[in-house]
Parts: sequence; structure tokens; C-alpha cells
Amino acid sequence: MTRMTTAAVTAALLLTASTAALAAEPIRVGVVTPLSGTYTPIGQQVRWGLELAAKEINAAGGVAGRPLELMFEDEEANPAVAVQKAEKLFQVGKVDFLTGTVNSGSTLAVGQVAERNDRLIATTVSFADSITADKCSPNVFRVNARAGQQSAALAEWLSKEKPKSKVFYLGPDYEMGRSTVAAFKKAATDKGSAEVGEVFAPLDNKDYSQYFGQLRASRPAVLYTSVAGNDTVRLLSQMEEYGLLKNLLVVGASGTVTSQNIGAIGKAAEGFVTGVGYSPEIDTPANKAFVKAFTAAYGKDPDLYGADSYGLLYFYKAAVEKAGATDTASVRKAMEGIQWATPQGTKTMRAGDHQAVQDMYAVRVTGGKFTIVGSVPGEAAIGPDACTKF
Amino acid sequence: MRSPMAEFLDYTQFVLAPQVLNGLSLGVAVILMALGLTIIFGLLDVINMAHGEFYAIGAFLALALGALGLNFWILLALVPLLMVPLGWLTERALIQRVFHSRERHILTLLLTFGFGMILEDVLKLVFGANTQKPPMPITGGTEILGVFLPNYRLFLILFGAALILAVWVAVFRTRLGAMVRAAAYDKDMASSLGVPVRAVYSGTFAFGVALAGLSGVLLAPIYSVFPTMGRDFILMAFTVVIVGGMGSIQGAVVAGILLTQVQAISSLYISPVWTDPLVFGIMVMVLMVRPQGLFGRLGNA
Amino acid sequence: MLIDRAPAPTLPRARDAVHAIAVLFFTAALALGALGWWAGDSFYLRLATEALIFAGLAMSVDILLGYTGLLSLGQALWFGVGAYTSAVILRDVAASFWLAMGATLVVTTLAGTVGGLIANRVKGVYFALITFGLAQVVAKVVYNTRELGASDGLIGVPEITIPLGFATVDAANPAGFFLLVLALVALLYAGLAYLMDAPFGRTLIAIRANEKRVPFLGFNPLVHRMLAYVLAANVAALAGALYPMLRGFVSPELLFFQTSGNAVITVIVGGVGTLIGPVVGSVLLTALRSVVGTWTEHHLIVIGVLFMLSVVVMPKGLVGAVRPWLQRRLSGSESPR
Repeated sequence: MTRMTTAAVTAALLLTASTAALAAEPIRVGVVTPLSGTYTPIGQQVRWGLELAAKEINAAGGVAGRPLELMFEDEEANPAVAVQKAEKLFQVGKVDFLTGTVNSGSTLAVGQVAERNDRLIATTVSFADSITADKCSPNVFRVNARAGQQSAALAEWLSKEKPKSKVFYLGPDYEMGRSTVAAFKKAATDKGSAEVGEVFAPLDNKDYSQYFGQLRASRPAVLYTSVAGNDTVRLLSQMEEYGLLKNLLVVGASGTVTSQNIGAIGKAAEGFVTGVGYSPEIDTPANKAFVKAFTAAYGKDPDLYGADSYGLLYFYKAAVEKAGATDTASVRKAMEGIQWATPQGTKTMRAGDHQAVQDMYAVRVTGGKFTIVGSVPGEAAIGPDACTKF
Repeated sequence: MRSPMAEFLDYTQFVLAPQVLNGLSLGVAVILMALGLTIIFGLLDVINMAHGEFYAIGAFLALALGALGLNFWILLALVPLLMVPLGWLTERALIQRVFHSRERHILTLLLTFGFGMILEDVLKLVFGANTQKPPMPITGGTEILGVFLPNYRLFLILFGAALILAVWVAVFRTRLGAMVRAAAYDKDMASSLGVPVRAVYSGTFAFGVALAGLSGVLLAPIYSVFPTMGRDFILMAFTVVIVGGMGSIQGAVVAGILLTQVQAISSLYISPVWTDPLVFGIMVMVLMVRPQGLFGRLGNA
Repeated sequence: MLIDRAPAPTLPRARDAVHAIAVLFFTAALALGALGWWAGDSFYLRLATEALIFAGLAMSVDILLGYTGLLSLGQALWFGVGAYTSAVILRDVAASFWLAMGATLVVTTLAGTVGGLIANRVKGVYFALITFGLAQVVAKVVYNTRELGASDGLIGVPEITIPLGFATVDAANPAGFFLLVLALVALLYAGLAYLMDAPFGRTLIAIRANEKRVPFLGFNPLVHRMLAYVLAANVAALAGALYPMLRGFVSPELLFFQTSGNAVITVIVGGVGTLIGPVVGSVLLTALRSVVGTWTEHHLIVIGVLFMLSVVVMPKGLVGAVRPWLQRRLSGSESPR
């Protein structure tokens, strides 16, 4: 109840405040995101990022003079629920645009719903390369960095810091995990490092100590991991327990260590380096203002999901204002190749595969804080366009 | 090129032995969960589907009380005590409602399944969805025959073993235990001999729930705390209870160690993602060949 | 209690009341469907179609629980087998409705026989656990198999046209596909209700009451339990086969315990041993979830409370609760006393 109405109330307040928006019909943005189940913490960041952006955009006069209205639905981290909720938002909620899906299965399935309903969606979370490569869709955009991009800055940093190092890979066994491991392996091997071992653990794995034997035996200098959320908390604290963090550099994909779980990981996160498209530490006025507003509103730092979801509404705003309309064909055309400002700098939406191009960072945890230790310009990180569907 | 012998020793020391030891600590964790389940089943014929959520409640209680400044050793005694009234109430308010039906198995399974759903959501409502982790009560590690084991895991293995032994003694060597076993074997006979059967039922259920809560306190520092954590162990614990024999304490111990070792060692040779199907496959096979499990049940032991 | 008090299917008057509920339900569904078509609706028709598809899964649970007295905690396994078979056929072989349904029947009958031989080795609570274990194994295998899309599932199941001889239904047409699924579920109900009233069903009920006596009546209880299991598997699988036609994709979540558990909740809330109860329950719970899910993310509490109340207070489910009243009305009108 509260969620649904916050946006509506904001919109209503705005209606009284701004005469320009008074007569205007709101633009509805549907959000299908996990608000219950394992991915709840991610869904929470998505929601916060979107709500903050909607509030700011509406306070500044809305999108082309029309206020934004967010409509949330819980997808329970289940694609079968996600498609049903997406249809509800498209057909009953009459949303103009949809976002929020987290796991790649949901993003792909909801993308197909968008195709069949002739609407557009964007993901702000899913990493799996396939979404903007071999399984790309003319109706799906991605504003966050995919696995391949994330690997670029990290591999670059690693090749300078520890050239020709031996790397052990530990990924979660689902598409997002396999995709990130494959992408980093390629990037790191190109830069001269060697693979000494690889393990895929089930999602929601309890005890990582059963892989520590293999890890020790292969004597790596670097561990790359792409487990996320609760799983990272367990992996890193169990590694600390076993004294494995002493002589091992641990690096990982975006989303392994975020402001959501760093508190629970504690000291074990120290020294962890991750390749990301966003960090609260990015030193620009835009980001400082965003972090301040976000923390003031929700009492937590934004992580990459919060920031990318926040940036998404500005992407949509830019596209609608460029198109001068909200219909699918015009907005799609406007989105392709558009540049827009986000907390982490200017992003460009590549027309060929609907993947956002952005600067990428290597971020290290020092004293419980994220510090930027390296970066790669967007064009160098993006990789070739592998989408052949449009 | 090293000699094959050196390679073998290397493999044993770095890979096999740690794997067996780590498997053991996971085994103890699973047995702790299975113990409460199997006792409740052995006496009441109730499959407690909410057991995982009681484990989560124990962990959250430890976290919340720990944040108030209570130390781990106090929590280890306090949390199970706090769980007792919760278990007692659950038995009186829910289990007793359908206890005398002919379909007690199925009805109690369904009721506790619904109750577990509610508890999980309540935990999320109260504590939020984010993962939290209490501090590690014992730090550092010990080398045993060249294999490194964290001190807390060592403590967990020893404490777990002592706890299992204590439970066994309580059930098989005390007057109270004799009453429980008598009630499990033949409730009418026990009742006519002056055993307060109803109190024994509630007490046993509460005892099982307290054990789940205690596991929560013990395992929270290793496995961290979040609302859906109850789903983690419950499948494995059920498997252990089924393979060991529903209601058998020895069975839970033997099957708990056996199955976690199968998982630990097989994950060296096959992709770890296949260890779950393997263990569930073993469970199905045991059910086919010997549905009563490796050992008999509580009342008949 | 749940089972003891479950319908006395042998009483013709009780059956009449249940049939009356079924007729009422299908008429109301038809009327609402027409209303939806007239209003040009798409979402609610498709949601109702999904509810009917999951009603098939719930009916399959009811065949085992309500008539044979066996609780399956892994019936989603067969729903998933149907869904994946149908998805693979439609995507990679031919976009033919009849081929997909035929292949589902063949695959499920074969796999279901194997599954039945495993599951029927045990009874009672062990049956619940073994079905649960079987479903877990298969779900994990699907989740880990890249050829079946692994954790992502399979998208790109085409929107098919279904030739019925007298007409052609477009699966993308909400009203048309709703009607087709409604007709299929009504047929399934009628067929199953007939079967359960026939000697086959009576033998199942006898097995539930006292399996040891059944051999003296000249029946082999194991054969009947096998038949019931394979029948239930096929009902679930046929329902599952319709899923990718509606939604265009399948994912491993369809086989997870959540799906099996929801089906059990549906049967209990709707009314065990009535066959129409699960259908009514599925429609009501789907509607409830759709509304509550939008209202709050704490829908587990709502569903959980409703479910527990059904078990304790309304052990015969919704259908069981209205039946006595309907029975009086029916007998009143037929033979006024």
C-alpha cells in the first residue's frame, strides 16, 4: 500500500505545486523486482534508486512536463511470477516502460513479454552477457555494465598490480555466475594471467570450506569470485576463518561486495578488489550529491544497483524528451545512441546491442570503505557488438 | 617432476584431509538440525516443516541479544531457554488441534509448513532482509596433523559431539527419557502408568525446538543470519533423518556424518553442483529399499 | 480428519452437490470469460487461464491425496516434465499443439511409470518424502543442464495456432485460449469425476480406507496405486504442457518445491477429494495472490494464515463448506419433505 502510494502522493504533491504538470497525465513506469525471497536486498536498492530519481524528476517538473509514477510488483525471484506481473503492469497498469528484473532468467522472460506487448524494458541489475549479445531483443535495454565490461577494469588493474599471476576461479552455478567467470577469465588471460583451477558452487551454498582444499592445492596468487549477497558474506568470512586471506588477493565481479553486505562481511572484506561500473566514492559533484540525497532518504549508502536504477529514470527522461513522445517506436529510436548523465558520469546507449557504454572502475575495500584504484574508459571496456537480432 | 608418492602425500594433506575435516564440521551442523527433527518425529509422529524457521529464530535471537551486549556463552544457554515456551505454545496451539486425527502425519506436516511460511515473513518484517553476522566468538586456528582447522569449528565439533551424547543420555538413561520413550511406544499404556502424556508431548516438542534454536546460536557466526536461512539446512536435515531412520538418534548421527562426507569427497571429483542431486538420490534409494531408514525409531529402540 | 471427513464420494447425493458446484463454476467461468472478451481484456483472461492451468496440477494432487490418501510433495515434477516437453517440441521440433500434447502423454506415461514404481514402494508419510526427493533430484538436474537452458530456462516458445477440426484457436488470443483451456479443464474434471465414481475410483477409496482388505475383493492394490500415480502424473503434465503455450517460456522454478507446495495449499483450501475444489481453490488463490502481491510484499503471511485456517477450521475446504447447504437445497427441490 505504502509503496504504491508514495509515488502517487509525490505526484499529487507535484500536481498542486507545478502548474505545468497540472493538466498532464502521469507517465507510468512499472517495476517488477524481487521484494521477497533471496534477492530482497537487491530489490530494495532498485526501489530506493528509482524512488529517489522519480522524486527529483517530479520536483523539477517531470518528464516533458508530465510527472513520473512508479508502480511496483514483487516478482519473488521467480520468472514465472515476473512475467505475470509484467503483463499486469503492461495491460492493467498501462505502464509506458518497465524495469527492475534481477536474475537473468526473469530479464529474458520479461523481455519476451515486452516484445509481445510492443513495449520497452530495461534492466539495471542483470549481468549475464547474453542479454545484450546472443539473446538480445529490440525491446530490451541494459543501463548497467555487463560481465564483460566489469572484467575490463579489473583485469587491467590486475595485470599492473600482479602481472602474470595464477588465478583460481570460484563462481556460483547460474547464468550470471558463469557469464562473469567466463568474461573475466578471457580478459585476464589476454593480459597474461594463468588459470590454475575453477569451481562452480551451487547458489545459496552453505559452506565454502569444502572447496578450500582444492583452492590451497592449486596454490593461486589470486582468487576471482562472482558469488553475491549472502553467499559472499559466507565465502569471505569462512576464508578469514581458515586464514586463507593472508597470502591471497581476492577480486570479484560487481555485486560481490556492496554497501548492502559489507557490514556483515566486516574485516574479511579488507583488500577485496572488484570491477564495477559504480562506487559511492566516485569523486564528482553529481555523485556526491546523489550519495548525500540517497543516504539522507534511506539511511544506507547506494550500491551499484541503487545507482544504476537511479540513473535509469534519467535515461528514460532523456529519451522521451528527445523523442517528444512515449510510444515504443519513437522512444526506442531515441534511446539508441543517446547519451545521458548519471551519478557515475555520462553513459552512452550503444545502438547495435542496447548495451550502455560507461567508464569502468577497479575498486578496493580499504578500512571498510570503497576506494577507486583504477579505471578504464567506456570504449575500451565495452567489447564488440555481438547482437545480430536487430 | 615430483615423485608420485610425494604427490599423493601432498594431495592427502592439502586436499583430502581438510575436505574430510571440513565435511565433519558441516556434518555436526546438520546433525544438530536433524536431532530436533528426529526426536519430534520419534515421539509425536510429527514432521516439523517449520524446523528451519525455528533455527532462524534462534540465530536472530542470538544476534539481537548479542547486540544488547550479552556475550556468546550466555546466549548459548539463554536462547534455547527462550525457545522452550515458543515450542510449547506451538505444540499446544497447533499440533494438538489435529493430533488425534487419523491423518496426523499429513495434517501436522501441512500445519507446520504453513507456520514456517508465516515465521519466515515475520522475521523479515522484524529484522529486515539484509544479511547480518554476529562476531566470531573464538578466533584463530589449530593445526591437526598438518591440517588447519579454525578454533571455532573445532569447538563446534567437540561441543556438538558432547551435546549429541547428552541428548542420547537424557533420552535413554534418565527417568524423564524413559517416560518419553514409554509415551512414544504406547501412549495408553504410559498414561495408565501415570506418565503425564500431554505434558510429555509438549515438552518433547519444545525440546526439539530448543535444539533448533541452539543450532541457530552455534551456526550463526559461520553461516551468517538472514530471514530465509531456515531453508538452508532443512532439506539436508530431512534427508539425514530419513536415511538414518525417522526417530532414531543414532541414525541421525551416522547418516549425518555419512551424507556430508559423501558430499565433501564427491565434490572433489564431480562438479559440486551435482552433490545435491546425489544426496537426494541416496535418500530416494534408501526410502525405496529400506523406508524405515538405517536404524529403527525412538519408541522401539 | 482431513481425509476421514473428506467427501463421502460413495453417496450419490453428495456427488450431485459437488457436480452442481462444478456446473456452477464452469458456467460462471464461461460468463466471466465472455465478459472479459466483450470488454477487450487481455490480462485477466490470461491470468484466469494460468489459474486454470495450475488447477490441473492441483487436481492431480487431489487424485492422489483425496482418493488414494497419498500426499505428494513433488507433483510439480510432472507439471515441469509436461512444460519442458511441450516447450522443447514447440520450439525445436514443430509448433504443433497436438504433437506437444501427444509427446507429453508418451513421455509422462513412461517416466511416470518409473516414478510410480519408485514412489509406490512406500506409503503414508514416506510417500510424501519420496515424491519430494524425486522432484528435488529432477529439478536440480534441469537447473544444471545447459541444453535445457539451465537456470535461465527456455524462452522463445512460439505463439501457436491450434486446429480443433471445427475451429482454429490462436494461443495468443486471450479469450480463445482461455476458452480452450477452460474446455480442457472441464473435460479433465468430467473424465476424472466419472473415473472416480466408476469401480476404479471405488477401489482407490477402498485402498485408502483399508488397503489390507482390498486383495480379498479381488483387486491388486499396487496395480491400482500405480494406475492412480500415472494418471495423476499425466493430468499434471498435460496442464504443464499448456503453460509454455500461454507464457512463451519455461524455467526450472516450475519444478521447485514452491510449485508443489502451492498446489497442495490450493487443494486444501479448495477442498480435498472433490476434484472441483482444487479448481475453485486455484482460481481464488491466483486472484488473491495477484491482489495481495501488489498490496504488500508480505504475502506469505496472508497465504500462510489462510492455509492454516483451512487445515484447522475448514478441513473440507471451501467446497466442503458450502456443500451441506447446497445438498439441502438440492434434496429439498427434488423431494420436498
